[in-house]
Parts: sequence; C-alpha cells; structure tokens
Amino acid sequence: MSDLPRRAAAILWKDILSETRTRQGFTAMLSFAALVLFMFSFAIGVDNDLLGRLAGGLLWVAIVFTGTLSLGRTFQNEELAGGTRLLRLYPGDVRAIYLGKLAGNLVVLAALEVVLFPAAAILYQVDFTAQAGPLLLVAVLGTFGFSVIGTFFSALTVHLRARELLLPLLLFPALVPVVLGSVGATEAFLAGDPLGRAGGWLRLLASYDVILFVVCLWVFPVVLEE
Amino acid sequence: MSLAVAAEGVTRRFGRRWALRGVDLAVPRGAVVALLGANGTGKTTLLRLISTLLKPTAGRLEVLGHTLPAGGDEIRTGTAFMTAGGHAYEELTGVENLRFAARMSGTAATDDDLRDALAAADLGGAADLPVRGWSTGMRKRLELARLRLRPLQLVLLDEPFVSLDEDGVGLVHDAVRGWRDAGAAVIIASHRVEDATRHADDIVRLAGGRVADVTA
Amino acid sequence: MNKLTMLGWVSIALIALGSVLGLAVLPADALQGEVQRLLYVHVPVAWVMMLAFFVVFLMSILYLVQRELKWDLLAVSAAELGVLAAVLTLILGTLWGRPTWGIWWAWDPRVTTTALLVPIYTGYLVVRSMTEDPDRRARWAAVIGLIAFVQVPIVYLSVFWWRSLHQPPSSPQSMWSAYGLVMLLGFAAYTLAFAYLWLRRYRLAATELELELSGPEEG
Repeated sequence: MSDLPRRAAAILWKDILSETRTRQGFTAMLSFAALVLFMFSFAIGVDNDLLGRLAGGLLWVAIVFTGTLSLGRTFQNEELAGGTRLLRLYPGDVRAIYLGKLAGNLVVLAALEVVLFPAAAILYQVDFTAQAGPLLLVAVLGTFGFSVIGTFFSALTVHLRARELLLPLLLFPALVPVVLGSVGATEAFLAGDPLGRAGGWLRLLASYDVILFVVCLWVFPVVLEE
Repeated sequence: MSLAVAAEGVTRRFGRRWALRGVDLAVPRGAVVALLGANGTGKTTLLRLISTLLKPTAGRLEVLGHTLPAGGDEIRTGTAFMTAGGHAYEELTGVENLRFAARMSGTAATDDDLRDALAAADLGGAADLPVRGWSTGMRKRLELARLRLRPLQLVLLDEPFVSLDEDGVGLVHDAVRGWRDAGAAVIIASHRVEDATRHADDIVRLAGGRVADVTA
Repeated sequence: MNKLTMLGWVSIALIALGSVLGLAVLPADALQGEVQRLLYVHVPVAWVMMLAFFVVFLMSILYLVQRELKWDLLAVSAAELGVLAAVLTLILGTLWGRPTWGIWWAWDPRVTTTALLVPIYTGYLVVRSMTEDPDRRARWAAVIGLIAFVQVPIVYLSVFWWRSLHQPPSSPQSMWSAYGLVMLLGFAAYTLAFAYLWLRRYRLAATELELELSGPEEG
C-alpha cells in the first residue's frame, strides 16, 4: 500500500512539470476567471454595497466556472500521451491515478484562488483579511470538494464525444452542496457570522467532502476498466 | 518448460464486434512468438488481454502462472507492453519520461541508469529535450529504452518496427535477443513478416479473431 | 392475458378510480380549494420518482457486483421513468404552488432538488446513449447511478438549509380520512403503474440489446 502515495506523487509531479512548461493553459484560465469577475460587475452595475454583499457568491461561481474548464484537461494530457489506459499497465492500485490527478487539480485551483481572492477583494471592495483564517478553511474545504467530484467526473467523461458538455451536466448538480456550503460560509464569515450559521455550513461541506471522497475513491477503478 | 502465456478459448467481444473468437495460444518462457495477421484480426486485442488491460469475455487466460483476473499486479510487475502508439508526454524530456515510468513501476533507477538506457537506444543527445520535437522514430526508441529499465518476464510488442530506420530495427532485434536470452517470453505483433519472424520460435497467424495456423 | 398485461390493466383501473374519487366525489379542500386536488397526482408521482431513482441505485449496485447486463437494462428503464416522473412532479408542483404560495417558483428545497434530479439523470441517460460498447456503457451508467444517489440526500439537505418554505410532507394523517384513503389509493395505483411500465421497458430494452448484439458485424 505504501507505493500508492509514491505513485500518486509521480503523476502529480509529472503533471506539474508539463503544466509549468505550457503556462499558456494556466494564463488563459486566469484571464478567463478575471473576465468572469468583470462580467458579474457589468451585469450587476457599479453598486459597491450590492457587489460587496454578493462577493462570496460571485467569487465561488467564478471558481466553479473556471475550475470546470481546467478540469476538462485533467485526463486530456493522458489521452494525448497514448491513453489513460496505459497508466493501468503499471503494477499497483489504480487509485494512485485518481489521487495524483486530484492533487494536481488542487494545486491548479489553489494557484487560481491565490489570484482570484485578491482580485475579488479589489473589484468588489470586500475585506477578506479580517476573517482570513476562517475563509482559508472555507476555501480549502470548497476546493477539495470541487476537485474530488471534478476529478472523478472528468475521468468518466474523457472518452465521450461531447465531454465539454457532459462534464458540467454531471458536475454542477453534484456541486450544489459545495457551492451552497462555500458561499454560505464565506458570506457568513464576511458578515462577521452574526447568526452563527458558518459552523453549520462548514460541517455540511466537510461531511460532503469526506463522503464523496470515499465513494469516488472506492468506485474509481471501475471507471478505468475496459 | 513452464508457460508465460496459456490461452484457452479466449474470446473478446466489443458490442456486436467479436475481436477474438476462441484463441488457443501457448507461449513458453524464453520463447519468441511472432503474431501475424491482417488489420483487424485481433492482434492488438490479444496483446491487450495478455497485458491485463482488457478482460476476456470468455475463455481461460493464464499469464506468468496467474489465471486472470487474479494476479493482475504480479503480471503487470513482470510484463511490459509497447503499444503501437507509444506512451510519451510531449512536454517532458526523454529523461523525465523515463523517470516517470520508473517511479510508476517501482523501479529504483538513478539518473545515470536513465541516461544509459537512452544512450543505448541512441537517444543520448536528445535526453534533455522535450519529446514534443522528436520524430516518430525517436519516440519508438524511447519506448524501447523504457522497456529496458526493469527486468521482464514477458514482453509484448505491438508493431515495434514501424517508423524505425535500419539502426532502430537493429535495436529492436538486439532487445528481443536480450530478453529471450534472459528467459523472458516475447510476443511480437507486426505486419513486417521478415522482422517479426527473425528470432521467432513460433509463428502464429490470426485471421478473423481465430488462430489460423501455428508454424514452428 | 399474461400477468404483466394484467398488472397494466389493474394500475389503469386504480388510477381511473382514484381520479374519479379525487376529482368528482370528494369535496374541495376547505383551505386550498380545488387546486388541492392536484396533490392526489403530485404526491404519488413524486413518490414514484423517488422509487424509480432508488431502483436505479439498487440495479447499479447489482450490476457492479455481478456484471450482468440485465441489471443495467433494469436500471436504465427505471431512470427513464424517474426522469419522466420528476418532470411531471415539477409541472404539477408548480401549478399547485402558484395559487397556494402566490409564486410559480419558490425555491422550495424539495422542488429545487427535484429540478436538480432532472439534469443528473439526464446526464446518466446521455452518457449511456453516447457509449457504444454495452459493457462500458453499463459500467459508466452504474457508476453515475451510484454516485447520484449518494449525492442527492446531501443536495436536498443543503438546499433545505439554504431555503425552507415547503409545507411539511402531506401524510394521510394530516388530512381528513377520505383524503387520506384516496391518497393511499394513488400511491398504490402509481406504484403499480411504475412496476408495469418498468418491466415493459425492460423487456423492450432486452430486445433492443439482443438486436444490437446480433446485428451484422462491423469492421
């Protein structure tokens, strides 16, 4: 079993190396995320109070949209390299593939959020720093949940003809608890949590993360079978 | 002599298409078998079944002493499958591609080992260049280098000679001899009859998903 | 007449009986008026939807354990009925909600979750229809059928926390006993109708698969 983390790390490192060599993908993703934030402002108008109140929701929708684009690429580099199936030629538990790809998505999303949170703070004039610790926890739980589900469904859809369409179709309903939990907790913390609702959202988010992680990890080998 | 591969009535269907319709095959350890046949006769499917990538629809398949679906990990540890399309990441260099393969298969290989393997495949000069710019022949050589990273008991080669120059073809022949002498079984699926049969102990011809004939 | 056809006729008769009782025999509800009669269909159909998706879940598990295509066919047959029932539930619920709550769409947790079930199981059906190899198709569908059922209760819970407006589930006890009996009749009738359609659809699917597998061979 000890070789599971080692092989997951090998996949992660290989993907990070590839990704850093072709930064265009990540740069395009960042620009897209920035555009989404702008679009919200254009749609809502220059109402600083309103934008501030909506900031949590807008931020997470931007993360979900941009993240979905990036998820589509999770297994595409494997297809270009001869097929995800070839990873199954190596001995050991194929769950290493899921864990490695999951970790890769976490890294990409974390990098995205490092830029997106300050950008939202500036554009929507909200102060994330006062509640930095709790908000970091929300970001971690939300991002993990997104990656757990997203990595799984991108493995499931990579061979389908209309994968660009089917990935969001399967992904978005599954993300409802993640989005509601993250937005609920973010907005509660930003408002100073007067109603004490943030804790409930965090617990919901954490439970969903754990349950989906266990189920996805358990079922993943079936997805890669042929 | 014990068998590396023993197939009895191995059948595989993909929906309404029967890729294999009851294949019997016996490959002893230390033997080289050439697998011949026109396109679509099931050569690649048979290799994919032996490599554990696919499960047979029916029939019994024993590889390296394990009857599938049991023993998958043991089989994969001792088996290498060189696919026709290859398996290389465009953005990684030759060394990085090999390092990834070594890590995934749990082979302890130092940087020097990796460079030696590349040099042995005449890729020494390209070791630190990303595969993106490589020719198809160079990629084929990279496959060969990867296969030589670890000790093998069973080697499956799918169209290994395609796009290789004369020297490259020579490298494949050297490798096949090396494996055979080390006691590994080698199965070569190819259209290049002359090359495929050069070291072959048995020649198996597939037609329509069945073994048409076996010549020694 | 074989047993399945008989089941069909029994369910039609029960649905007809329930409709006559609910529409003509029972008086209109004192509080909600005529619109309350919609519930005689809405609630049993919503139950059928839940039943159908539960069946998809069970059949998916059975497929993953036994790897026999019949479980996949039973699952997809139930999934189609589930989507149909979900759409019906939504339409009836919206029609009922407008006069009762004053708005068409009140973001009620149960309604919202039902609305989310439609894309989830549409995704299931689309992935299935896009995959040609029957084993692959069955495998991916079973995985989605399994995951979907795990996520739905939590989706419901999260939407419930987010917004709650719906009246508590209408159980027969909370209503005048005649209403309760007609409601129970509805449950029985629509459950039997589901069973009938499900088995019919399964037979059709089995025939389709047989044709698909026995057709002329490709390349």
